[in-house]
Amino acid sequence: MSLNPEHLAPRDSPLARRDPRWRLAAFALAIAGIALLHTPGPSAVALTLALALALVGRVPGRWYRDRIGLLLLALVPFLIVVPFTVDRGERLWEWRFLHLTDSGLVVAVTLAMKTVALVTVALTLLACAPLHVTLAAAGKLGVPKLLVHLTLLTYRYVFVLLDELNRLRIALRVRGFRNAMTAHAYRTVGQATGTLIVRGSDRAEHVAQAMRCRGFDGRFHTLATFRSKPADVVMFILTVGIVSGLVAWDVRG
Amino acid sequence: MIDVRDLRFTYPDGRRALDGLTIHVSAGESVGLIGPNGAGKTTLFLCLCGVLRSSPGAMTVAGLDPCDLAQRKQLPAHVGVVFQNPDDQLFSSTVGEDVAFGPLNLGLPADEVRTRVADALGRVGMTGQDERVPFQLSGGEKRRAAIAGLLAMHPEVLLLDEPSMFLDPRGRRELIGLINALPGTKLIASHDLALVRDTCSRVILIDSGRVVTEGKTELLKDAELMERHGLEAV
Repeated sequence: MSLNPEHLAPRDSPLARRDPRWRLAAFALAIAGIALLHTPGPSAVALTLALALALVGRVPGRWYRDRIGLLLLALVPFLIVVPFTVDRGERLWEWRFLHLTDSGLVVAVTLAMKTVALVTVALTLLACAPLHVTLAAAGKLGVPKLLVHLTLLTYRYVFVLLDELNRLRIALRVRGFRNAMTAHAYRTVGQATGTLIVRGSDRAEHVAQAMRCRGFDGRFHTLATFRSKPADVVMFILTVGIVSGLVAWDVRG
Repeated sequence: MIDVRDLRFTYPDGRRALDGLTIHVSAGESVGLIGPNGAGKTTLFLCLCGVLRSSPGAMTVAGLDPCDLAQRKQLPAHVGVVFQNPDDQLFSSTVGEDVAFGPLNLGLPADEVRTRVADALGRVGMTGQDERVPFQLSGGEKRRAAIAGLLAMHPEVLLLDEPSMFLDPRGRRELIGLINALPGTKLIASHDLALVRDTCSRVILIDSGRVVTEGKTELLKDAELMERHGLEAV
């Protein structure tokens, strides 16, 4: 298995054609709204709508499944524990100090649906446009430019550093190193990590030199330009309406 | 165009990289800078583009003194540097954004920048590839994209540090054609003496931070001289 993260080439879709600023604002609002939900009904509807959004956004199936699979894997320990930690509701099963409640099960299912819905919306946002376009839109919406550009630089150099990590792993393997729970293995991994950090720092210095040589004075500029259309505003208003409706239902329910 | 007189530079750890180096490159000349590892080639380039600070008055590039703060700020518009590793130079998320980085820093209007980006990519044979992401480019493409980033700034002086590093034979051959087609004054630091022979009219041999000798590219055939300074004659 490669350690390299996959770079996604965005596909054309009705969502991809929207102005990135409106899209980002709408999706951010949707994510915030879904995070507020705590009842199963609105969470189920949010999950259904998020999956529909992913379909409209033509999110690549394998790319989506790989990431959702990882997320669910990380969620499993919480989903197993949660039904045993909620005291209210009917006790479905009991053994000494352990007890499983119906409310606990509902909380676990709601948590799973909410999380998958949240991540689906975020993945759809990432799949709709190249990251630099989404981040440029974030800059236009008032996110500090320094933060935007640090994120872009991080994204760019993650691939370079992972390449270096791969080379280090191969170099270790061809010299007979196998990872094990031994002092030698821990020491070797520590040294390899140190090498990677030193190389990263060295590279950062070179990048800074290259930037200064091309006139960088601490301010980032971009060529990205955006134009709003009525359909962008309609999408945003629709999102506000749906999210408000879900939150209202959740609060009342 | 490039005038260096008795330039000395010592790194903070006490290592002396340049020890009274004197070179002159005239406008429009293409000069090869050769020497073994640690001879001071990269340090000289970093001094010429103002990244490393040396004593004022020791050099001028395109009429500007890199040690003078006010003049150093004008250097990027006149001097372009291609670094050894193109990954250090391609820091933007797409090729187009990267080529536009320099012209945008020069404060040029967006339309002018777009024209320059298209023109520079065309000159390195990468027309229409502005949406590609740097980590998906081959070694040769990265090098060409890095050169396009400089060409978009219209520099009078080009400093190329080990330009053929990481290139396969075909990429190297394409690079030689590209360098020969580049306008302006060129100073090319390289161990690749065949590339120097094919792209330069004159060579300067440096070792231990000093000029050993300089002359026509026939110098590269002097096996004994090259051997003495850790190089191989071509």
